[in-house]
Amino acid sequence: MNLLGVLEISGSALTAERQRAEVVASNLANAETTHTAKGGPYQRQLVIFSAQPVSHAKFASVLSDVGDEYARGVVVKSVVPDPTPAIRRFEPGHPDADREGYVAYPDINPIEEMVNLMGSARSYQLNVAAVQATKDMISQSLEILA
Amino acid sequence: MSWSDTAVIEKLGEYLNLAAFRQTLIASNMANVDTPGYRTRDIDFQGEMSRAEDELGLEAMQPRVFEVSGLIERPDGNNVSLDRETLLLARTELQFRLAVDILRKKFQEISSAIKEGNS
Repeated sequence: MNLLGVLEISGSALTAERQRAEVVASNLANAETTHTAKGGPYQRQLVIFSAQPVSHAKFASVLSDVGDEYARGVVVKSVVPDPTPAIRRFEPGHPDADREGYVAYPDINPIEEMVNLMGSARSYQLNVAAVQATKDMISQSLEILA
Repeated sequence: MSWSDTAVIEKLGEYLNLAAFRQTLIASNMANVDTPGYRTRDIDFQGEMSRAEDELGLEAMQPRVFEVSGLIERPDGNNVSLDRETLLLARTELQFRLAVDILRKKFQEISSAIKEGNS
């Protein structure tokens, strides 16, 4: 692994954290959605992260050497629905109300989602800092030539 | 023992390689800060440098990577510590800069000798 490969590790984390933020944003946006294409209310989604060896599909593969097996990027393994049952609210006038007059709403706690979003933003920042440091190291090593 | 310029340059090269290797591990740790079950991994920098002294050099040997113990583990089994990793990131970057600066100095000295002192 060389320094160019390190950028790919941090880059994988940026992608994963952005996907997590997207899922959280969609949870927040659909906190009151009672109607989906599948029928029934929107279901809260959760991302599952998994550590994975960095694939060298790119430029760095030509230069890769010592320590490749220790390089671990991160990927979103899957996005799974939260199995928590929907909340039932009594709203007989609602078009999605069942026979007893109850409407199923997704069980989404905005505070929980906001905390998740902040966590994702902080992790993104952390990895941007790592990219910056690696970039500085690469440009420093170019200074040897100067 | 006096070291020749080439030996010093060789040593600095190993130092740079090791710093870059550690950077890989730090980046991996940082990337997996939210991955359940991920364990912080690191190398013993000083230990590896003195090991390179005895052996053939870093190109030939694989640095020993271990899981860091004594860190606070979260309920999901992940034990990446943000402060530890950020500190190490800054430290490794400075170590890298140090070695690059000395290396440049060395090359300047050699070049100055070649040009008989007229730089």
